[in-house]
Amino acid sequence: MSELLPQNQIDEFRARAAAIAHPHELIVDALRAVQSHHGWVPDAGVDLVAELLGVLPVEVEEVATFYDKIFRRPVGRRVIHVCDSICCWAGGGEAIAGHLQEALGIGFGETSADGIFTLLPTCCLGACGDAPAMMVGLTTHGRLTPERIDAILQQEREAFAESKDFHHQDTRTPREP
Amino acid sequence: MNDYPQILFKNRRPGATACFAEYAAGGGYQGLRRALQMTPQAVRELVKATGLRGRGGAGFPTGVKWLFFPADQPGEKYLLANGDEMEPGTYKDRQLLLADPHQLVEGMAIAAYAMQIPVGYVFLRYAYEECARKVERAIAEAEAKGYLGRDILGSGFSFELHVHRSAGRYILGEETALINGLEGRRPNPRSKPPFPAQSGLFGKPTNVNNVETFANVPHILSHGAEWYHGLARTPEGAGTMLVGLSGHLARTEVFELPMGIPLREVIEKCGGGVRGGRSFKACLPGGASTPFLTAAQLDTPLDHVHLEQAGSRLGTAGVTVFDETTCMVAATLNLARFFARESCGWCTPCRDGLQVVVWLLEELEAGRGNRDQLAMLGDQVRNIRGRSFCALAEGAMGPVGALLDRFGDELEDHVKMGKCPLK
Amino acid sequence: MPTLTIDSREVTVPEGTNVLEAARALDIVIPHFCYHEALGAVGACRLCAMKFIDGPVKGVQMACMVTARDGMVVSTLDPEAVELRSHVIEWLMTNHPHDCPVCDEGGECQLQEMTVAGGHGLRRYRGRKRTYRNQELGPFIVHEMNRCIACYRCVRTYRDYCGGSDFGVFGSRDRVYFGRLRAGRLESPFAGNLVDVCPTGVFTDKTFRFKSRAWDLQEAPSICPHCSLGCATVPGGRFHEVQRVRAGIQREVNGCFVCDRGRFGAGYGNHPERPRQPRVDGQLLAMTPAIEGVRDRLAAIIGEHGPESVALLGSARASLEANALLRAWAEALGTPHLTFEAHAGRDRAARIAAARLGSKACSLADVRRSDLVVLTGVDPLAEGPLLALAVRQAARAGAQVVVIDPRPVQLPCRFTHLPLPAEQLGDALRCLAGETGGGIAAPLQERLTELRAQLAAAQRPVLAGGADLLGSRDVASLFDTAEALTRSEQSFGVMLLLAGPNSYGGALLAGGGPDFEVLLDAIQERRIRALVCLESDPFRESRDPGRARAALGHLDLLVALDATPTLAARHANLFLPTRTCVESEGSFVNNEGRLQAFAKVLDPGLPLRETSPDIHPPREFFTGTPGSEPWPAWRILARLLGRSEELATLRQTIAAADPRFAPLTEIAAESPGIRLTAAATLPPASRPELPHCRPAETLPLLPVPVVAGSGWLAQLAPALAPLRPLPQVLLHPEQAAALGLNDGDHAILTSQLGHCRVLVKVTAAMAPGSVLVPQLLDSALEGLVPGSGPFDCRLVLEVPG
Ligand SMILES: Cc1cc2nc3c(=O)[nH]c(=O)nc-3n(C[C@H](O)[C@H](O)[C@H](O)COP(=O)(O)O)c2cc1C
Ligand code: SF4
Ligand code: FES
Repeated sequence: MSELLPQNQIDEFRARAAAIAHPHELIVDALRAVQSHHGWVPDAGVDLVAELLGVLPVEVEEVATFYDKIFRRPVGRRVIHVCDSICCWAGGGEAIAGHLQEALGIGFGETSADGIFTLLPTCCLGACGDAPAMMVGLTTHGRLTPERIDAILQQEREAFAESKDFHHQDTRTPREP
Repeated sequence: MNDYPQILFKNRRPGATACFAEYAAGGGYQGLRRALQMTPQAVRELVKATGLRGRGGAGFPTGVKWLFFPADQPGEKYLLANGDEMEPGTYKDRQLLLADPHQLVEGMAIAAYAMQIPVGYVFLRYAYEECARKVERAIAEAEAKGYLGRDILGSGFSFELHVHRSAGRYILGEETALINGLEGRRPNPRSKPPFPAQSGLFGKPTNVNNVETFANVPHILSHGAEWYHGLARTPEGAGTMLVGLSGHLARTEVFELPMGIPLREVIEKCGGGVRGGRSFKACLPGGASTPFLTAAQLDTPLDHVHLEQAGSRLGTAGVTVFDETTCMVAATLNLARFFARESCGWCTPCRDGLQVVVWLLEELEAGRGNRDQLAMLGDQVRNIRGRSFCALAEGAMGPVGALLDRFGDELEDHVKMGKCPLK
Repeated sequence: MPTLTIDSREVTVPEGTNVLEAARALDIVIPHFCYHEALGAVGACRLCAMKFIDGPVKGVQMACMVTARDGMVVSTLDPEAVELRSHVIEWLMTNHPHDCPVCDEGGECQLQEMTVAGGHGLRRYRGRKRTYRNQELGPFIVHEMNRCIACYRCVRTYRDYCGGSDFGVFGSRDRVYFGRLRAGRLESPFAGNLVDVCPTGVFTDKTFRFKSRAWDLQEAPSICPHCSLGCATVPGGRFHEVQRVRAGIQREVNGCFVCDRGRFGAGYGNHPERPRQPRVDGQLLAMTPAIEGVRDRLAAIIGEHGPESVALLGSARASLEANALLRAWAEALGTPHLTFEAHAGRDRAARIAAARLGSKACSLADVRRSDLVVLTGVDPLAEGPLLALAVRQAARAGAQVVVIDPRPVQLPCRFTHLPLPAEQLGDALRCLAGETGGGIAAPLQERLTELRAQLAAAQRPVLAGGADLLGSRDVASLFDTAEALTRSEQSFGVMLLLAGPNSYGGALLAGGGPDFEVLLDAIQERRIRALVCLESDPFRESRDPGRARAALGHLDLLVALDATPTLAARHANLFLPTRTCVESEGSFVNNEGRLQAFAKVLDPGLPLRETSPDIHPPREFFTGTPGSEPWPAWRILARLLGRSEELATLRQTIAAADPRFAPLTEIAAESPGIRLTAAATLPPASRPELPHCRPAETLPLLPVPVVAGSGWLAQLAPALAPLRPLPQVLLHPEQAAALGLNDGDHAILTSQLGHCRVLVKVTAAMAPGSVLVPQLLDSALEGLVPGSGPFDCRLVLEVPG
């Protein structure tokens, strides 16, 4: 998706920003909108958000670079966040992370050769009861085993192959573990 | 499955979310009706009388906080539900919202009335998209039924509720950072005073409570203070709490349990004991920022007072259990890494101090550590604890301090043997 | 006024003082980073720990975050606090690169000092250090992020205090990054302050790179000569050149900061063409014979044509002492032909200010405290940048800011702009005063009546103006308005930006004397045969340089005293080299009437270079320092008066001669200065301006000043070149459309100066009607002096080829 944000959303953000006293409060929403549409937030996305909300580009960048779920660098179509916090660690999370890296042939922060997956570590996903856990896009998967992981990756690959449109993870309804 | 009184989870069905009809059928929104017949002041007094304490980690008495709030001050005021829930070992708010989101909506409506607040936000972390949708649905249903929005049930009181989806980072859970986050500023915490009740969101009086805290309120309004207080096992506690079990237990779910229930009972009865027949070594009783408890402390009742006496905290009541095979240095290192990575970068003890702590634990855990570094770890804890700008670094020192106090020998062994004694 | 005990010593401090400052009042300086006097306390660095033993707060606290209260008992030596401070330093140093030997901050690094003071000597952390990529930040500032200790001072200075919009803090945890969104020149006109506020070597002065180590610099408290505000500076010199300038701290004036023009504009002193040798009829000789020469030649002319045939011209660049001695000399010679500003308009404006400011005089500190600032006919960023910064502080504290000006004025804060044509500024002021009529459109009239009410309601309103656009007539209206509006219960301030650092001093001395146009007439009519220019350049600076040049051609004798390569210096029959304000002691009177002294930083001389590819050291040997001939102007004038005392004595005689200058005997550099209260006399009425009917097809052309390009000293400072705009005109869209011109076009501007090629800038933020043209010295637009015009002009699209 080369376009940053569909026109209707552009208009909507403009209108909302104009209607409220503190347009800054929309920065995170707008960044997330760009990301879910474009996959990640390029410099042009930061400028667009600033322009739509009538705030300074630095103000947008200051916020964008603070959050770890706003991607300021290109990522694959599905970002995999593997939990590395205590419960998942206790549940063998390190092995799970190892398996993911093998299965995808990439390390943390890298994107698979087919451009589908980016692998990132994340803090606790709130799936501590289903450790070890990971989040693919916005869908959390728990009680991971190498087998489950392979299955999930396979599903994702197929789902991705089918989907003609290049829409990003946020538009898919998440499933709970 | 269990015979504990179920209040917050009474509508919980595996894999299902209670819709408005189910919620109403179970007496939903009666609490709000009651509240609207009382004076706001009376509602706040009632909540105070229950002894309800915040479920977000700090455990501050909710009624007291509400009574501090300048309810009579005219103009903009805000009510925030804190659903950032990123403390490792804590996943109760998620389960609560997936099971029965209307409790939050009703609880906030009551709180809003009690503090005469016209606008509220439910702040939800990035990973809780599903919860966000459930809450949005609940809000829509409540609005349709007249329990939210303009002139609620003809009372003349109006309250609008919005959902904010965040974009990651544990610090957003800290209430003043959360407020900055909502404002679209850099979510560093703010200095207190001024407290949110004086100057919070957009500089206006703001009250922040945890999702679970709000969920308790409708039941309190329906059944009264004595009933609520009586739900607890200990006089020090009040009501029930959502206890999220994790780690090396046979069963790791969220249970609704009476305040003051002994840790042992939770682990044995609910958790089904330590997984794989192994024995209990330690646990975090209330999330990643609470000091470890040892086997010797298993009879401690789970309430704020007794856990503090035991040298820990109830925190978010997320119990993470470690079995005998766990290297406590490694476990602490994992926790320290979490806090160091989640530091907002504002103050030195946290931003740079935690990095030093991580390095020391890495050295020690790998068996490269020496006595000086052991001592250095001690003076890091001494100088970070209580010295940081907000409570994040403070929390980070919980487990590290307990490691030194309660697992000193294990640390010593790492140094003596030049390797992890458990490997 | 709470009284507290720190380290067993009692101290009483003003309400609201924090404990860190309270300790400082006892000369107990506790290491700290994030706290800064101008930026306030945020409690981020956690370094300023003290132990609170008794009183309202207890335990180890960050002193910067605790307001002093009665009965507090505080220990800075408590072991707990000491241990914490040493740890905080240790943490701050974990990622520091330890590149002190090659760091430009070396020798004045607060981090270094605090590290020692904090008691951290031994590195225990052996883990990885994080590293950053630096940004190219433009001509003034070098970026070295690895040295950062994240005190957040830079962003609080640049964004919060100075209102810059292209700098911020990015990332989080131990990876916070301070810089621009993308590499590029820092846009704020106050960017240089990053150098001062950064406690270590992240932001350093690019223009100072590889010139000296801080400890090798000769520094002394000085006053910035680039505008009339008189900001405190600390120039640092070595090898006979000012190599850098720091902001001085003057709480009543600039506070802690200065603008980039003041900071990077010190190069004028060593302009390659600076004349350093006395010269008589083209012949170089030593100072004493040259002074004799001047005396004899003037005596001869007076002998022949009488004392009235000699005229003396002082300036806003010259020290009060020099100007005062010039007046003494005029009296000695017996000539009434004496004035202190070559630009009659600026001269009159200054004299009116000096005569009428009185109790309305207001300092920049007063502006910062104001709750309503109305700026009329003034563009602070061009005429006195620190005024813009002061206005921002007022705005941050909630003050409303209104600008009435034809120019597309910019300010680092929110403000309402009423773009009125220059000729209507007077009407606007009268309208504010309650008079009706004038050529102002009805809706604007309403807005002004509204503003009038707000001015009446405000507690501490400030009415600010600029001498150039208002001109003497509207300056008078400014005062009328202020007087008409003032109510007893409010403190109503007036701030007028004047031409130079000593305009006010000159105005006090000029009193009812003639202005320079009167002198020009007399020169034209050969009633005046000789003119002495004291650090003044009528060829460039008078309101109508063309006319001045023509008239000055009739002189028999032109004498110039100057430290810069002026046209007067070039054309002078007799020239005496003077010293710049960093090369001698002296004093200026700033635009609010504040007398401030400056100290000598270094002696004049040709700059030395330790190595220089192109020059071989001089082969003939002598003991003197090359280029050290210049004397302070006051010393030369004293000699001309036949006196040889030192400055202190001269000041006494000046004070004795004119009691208004009594404070001269008390002032010292670095002191807050003393406001001169006694008023000046108004100038004689200026001759009525003949009504001018503009030929059809022409447009009114209004010259305006710019921050770099129209000021003489700034023009001579090489480092400021990047701030100099291209030759250009500013047009309102309507006008542009009518002329068929677009933003970015090149056009041919035809005015009384002939034709010249200009860039067309189109902006809706200016008043329709006139064409605005920034004066640019050493360009075809040099003759368009601000404070003159409007002129008739034509503007046509340039036909390429
Ligand atoms: C680092 C940090 C993280 C926190 N995270 C959360 C959180 O995720 N959810 C929450 O309710 N409170 C969290 N808190 C506590 C809040 O600051 C605040 O005390 C709480 O939301 C108040 O609600 P309560 O009184 O109902 O507990 C956190 C505090 C700190 C210092
Ligand atoms: S302790 Fe300091 S750096 Fe850490 S999160 Fe709180 S404010 Fe930020
Ligand atoms: S100076 Fe007090 S915390 Fe930084």
